[in-house]
Amino acid sequence: MKNPFSLPSVRRRWGGWAAGLAALVLLTSCELFEFSPNQTHTPEAYRDLTRKNLEALLARPNPLGDDSLRFVFISDSQRFYDEAAAFVRSVNQQPGVAFVALGGDVSDFGLVREMRWVHDRLRHLNVPYLTVIGNHDHVANGRQAYQNVYGPLNYSFTYAGTRFICLDTNGREYGFNGRVPDVDWLRAQLADSAGVTQQVVLCHVPPEDADFDPQLQAPYVQALGEAPMLALHLNGHRHSFGISNPFELHVPFINSYGFEKRQYVMLTMGRTGGFRLQTVPY
Amino acid sequence: MRRFFSVCGGLLGSVLLAPPPGAAAQTAAPADTLPARRWHAPHHLVGQFAGGQGLITAGVGYRLNRNRLDLDLLAGYVPRRYSITPMGIFTAKATFMPWTVPLGPRGWAVRPLALGGYLSYTASKGLNATQDGKYPSGYYWWSAHGRVGGFLGGRIAYPLPAKRPGAAPRLVSLYYELGTNDLYLASWWGNPRGLSPLDVATLGVGLKLDL
Repeated sequence: MKNPFSLPSVRRRWGGWAAGLAALVLLTSCELFEFSPNQTHTPEAYRDLTRKNLEALLARPNPLGDDSLRFVFISDSQRFYDEAAAFVRSVNQQPGVAFVALGGDVSDFGLVREMRWVHDRLRHLNVPYLTVIGNHDHVANGRQAYQNVYGPLNYSFTYAGTRFICLDTNGREYGFNGRVPDVDWLRAQLADSAGVTQQVVLCHVPPEDADFDPQLQAPYVQALGEAPMLALHLNGHRHSFGISNPFELHVPFINSYGFEKRQYVMLTMGRTGGFRLQTVPY
Repeated sequence: MRRFFSVCGGLLGSVLLAPPPGAAAQTAAPADTLPARRWHAPHHLVGQFAGGQGLITAGVGYRLNRNRLDLDLLAGYVPRRYSITPMGIFTAKATFMPWTVPLGPRGWAVRPLALGGYLSYTASKGLNATQDGKYPSGYYWWSAHGRVGGFLGGRIAYPLPAKRPGAAPRLVSLYYELGTNDLYLASWWGNPRGLSPLDVATLGVGLKLDL
């Protein structure tokens, strides 16, 4: 009998395994190979979407010219993938929309794969979309997943003379540690009015909600009240549409629909103040 | 295998009254013929890549039900690069393989179907828990740490030379698992048109080496 450990024999015997192993290493880039649903790593196409969408937005002229600014506002896409596809079809038929604002809870379980599923649908929008983090996006490793897929938890941008201030208000997810929302950061953004005619705050949990850090409710509301250019306060979390003024400020608070309600809000802001609100079923 | 048992049976048959062959080998084999195997001594070593159970996962397992059922205990690791803080994933897994198809004279064999399920616990300092003091009870229905999963798979096995003449051949097998978990299933459940089964699938591959 031939020596089973002779080199050619070993090569024959293990060559196949080695080739298989090499193929395996090549396949590690394959999405199916998942280390944990909580892994935060994501392919380049699903990274830094806030920055990419802002670049796309700022490169586009305002579809309504200098007169006004129109955007779509919706929230809580969590686990509503069928609805997300229908939403995209509807928004793509709306004239004059500059972008879509998504008021948090992109995901339900804070999983990076959920954020990819949402982006796989919303990337078919004809306009960029911008998000703010919701409480569900904080779950498990979600905070890091959101930062990898979208970007900073607090950020602002100016488009068509309007400053949008997007911030993390999910105080309960931090155990009400007295630091979220970052009121100092909010104040600084509201105070910076260079080249801006009005301001909009976009967040997930509104200050009147039980999930908002109670220690920060008064300073937060005070910061909003002291911002003369602030035109709208937009939030998600409650899944049902509402417009109210719970703190009797100069600013209306607008709750958006969740995706499952198959309706969204379309806001058209005048350059010199005032806005038109439409609710659109899809 | 049969030769192995007949040797043992010949040695021990006169001493023990109709013993189950495995038990005979474990309890009464003379030290110079077979090492005593304790009941809890694992039957195989496992190493796995991905499959939702860690970047690299290692563990031990047992064969039951006439080698059709594997029970494995695994510890997986996901480095910080893929997480807030490194994750340790501890998995208990059962794999049922009803059929074995021999391939040729060299002892290769395929198990074309494997059905399995697992429970896992993820330990990671940075993981934001869903069911702790931050929330009123029932705020989130799922756990960020505990997962339940299921999979379909298969394996191909090759016999290594036995440790001693007449002993059972030790198998080294390569397996795959195409699986999913409770959270992905919940996502798919509400969106049967929006998500495809492949969207919610995970893939893992691994090696088992008989001891």
